[in-house]
Amino acid sequence: MGQTDRFKDKVAIVTGGGDGIGAGIAARLLAEGATVAVLDLDAGPLRAGLAADTAPRLLAVEGDCTDLATLEQFHARVVGELGPVDVLVNNVGQSGRGRSAPFHESSEEVWRFVLEISLFTAMRMSRLIAPAMRERGGRIVNMSSDAAFVGDTGLVDYASAKMGLIGFTRSLARELAPFGVTVNAVAPGAIRTRAHDTMPKEVIDRIKASTPAGIVGEPEDVAAAVAFLASDEARFITGQSLLIDGGRWMI
Amino acid sequence: MTAAFAGRRILVTGGAKGIGKAAALRFLAGGAKVACLDMDEVALADVSAAHGVVALKVDVTDTQVTDATVAEAAAQMGGLDGVVNSAGVDLESSLEAMTDAAWERLIAVNLTGPMKVCRAAAPFLKQAGGGTIVNVSSGAGLQPLKFRSAYSASKAGLQMFSKALALELAEAGIRVNVVCPGAVETPLFRSSIAEGEEGRAQLDAVRARYALARIADPDEIAAGIAWLTSADASYVTGVALAVDGGRTFH
Repeated sequence: MGQTDRFKDKVAIVTGGGDGIGAGIAARLLAEGATVAVLDLDAGPLRAGLAADTAPRLLAVEGDCTDLATLEQFHARVVGELGPVDVLVNNVGQSGRGRSAPFHESSEEVWRFVLEISLFTAMRMSRLIAPAMRERGGRIVNMSSDAAFVGDTGLVDYASAKMGLIGFTRSLARELAPFGVTVNAVAPGAIRTRAHDTMPKEVIDRIKASTPAGIVGEPEDVAAAVAFLASDEARFITGQSLLIDGGRWMI
Repeated sequence: MTAAFAGRRILVTGGAKGIGKAAALRFLAGGAKVACLDMDEVALADVSAAHGVVALKVDVTDTQVTDATVAEAAAQMGGLDGVVNSAGVDLESSLEAMTDAAWERLIAVNLTGPMKVCRAAAPFLKQAGGGTIVNVSSGAGLQPLKFRSAYSASKAGLQMFSKALALELAEAGIRVNVVCPGAVETPLFRSSIAEGEEGRAQLDAVRARYALARIADPDEIAAGIAWLTSADASYVTGVALAVDGGRTFH
């Protein structure tokens, strides 16, 4: 898969990079030479899968992405230990999972959690990063979802947060364009992760049947798109939403 | 570039100039065999001499010529597993000035042409066990431009053609995607800009449409085409990727 050193001497942050898609992104950026900082509740799965030669370039901090003070401390530590940030991947996000419910029975407490983790964290992290990026350019990639575009039952809060990220992406892209910063979003469809593996088989079958490619994607598929948008190659792409969904949203 | 395209055999229409040529050079640098198909024989001779690609003259409005040329490209490369439709023409015209001939010519090149190339190429892609198609649309196919009704319609049509084709060809392992460039420094773009002071004002107005406030280099568009053609995009089909410095916010 054409590994390169596109991110040699670059510093990247991946929120929620301890597992799943985020770990796939962190691993990809590490493999292409980046120094990567990850903030997640548990970075174990990422560490376990890493090649020995890339592990020294990983700074994994365990903490809660929904807590502003934690984000501020994490940001200060990254800049202090690794230097200014070239790439910010606002990956962290979650549905209510076991606490999700049909809308008429849903609770504000769950909405708040989903919006905090999926949208507010991206805004907070980006606000911490923006002043330095205005000085020296950079790349921001936000993790939306094809659930935002397609919509899904029981996921009103999640789809709202993920579509909120699209508006956030477009507006921030306009604000930061004059400073050499691009801001884009990727929107994965069904991707094989731990969260995905806990879904009932009939839900997975339904998603597969509605995906022209006929398969569920892998975290590496999303990581490849993020790496592209974070690279110098994509310097003329900004404000865009790239679906990584095997063609599901198209239909 | 690494050997991201080693073993690939890729055909590029409009491949002797502009965006098509920039894409062809990226594929070459990545280890692919490349066939450049173009109308312009002088530019074809140049690209062939300078880069050693298969260079074939084609008129994508002619079915017989297109069928024969695509087959020839596949024969010379030993098969075909990638197609880029970059050939296109521009037309700036008000509605009242629009002639049937000008409208039909534009649709024939920009919309019917890629269909003919895809139709000719699909059997070869299937024979190869799968492949990729990237069609070069335009930001004008996402958001309209004044006095470019025919051009915008042709480019929007190309997007929906490509998405329908992505559905049809998915089970054959063929991914079909679209790139939507903004203003790019190409011969086609230059031909739409006047000389002197008027041209400078036109260029300023064009730049002002884009968040990044500049006109793209063809290689920046080629980067998007190359990514969608590469194995890195293996789960991406039926998307329209705008590479436009921030105009359409698609």
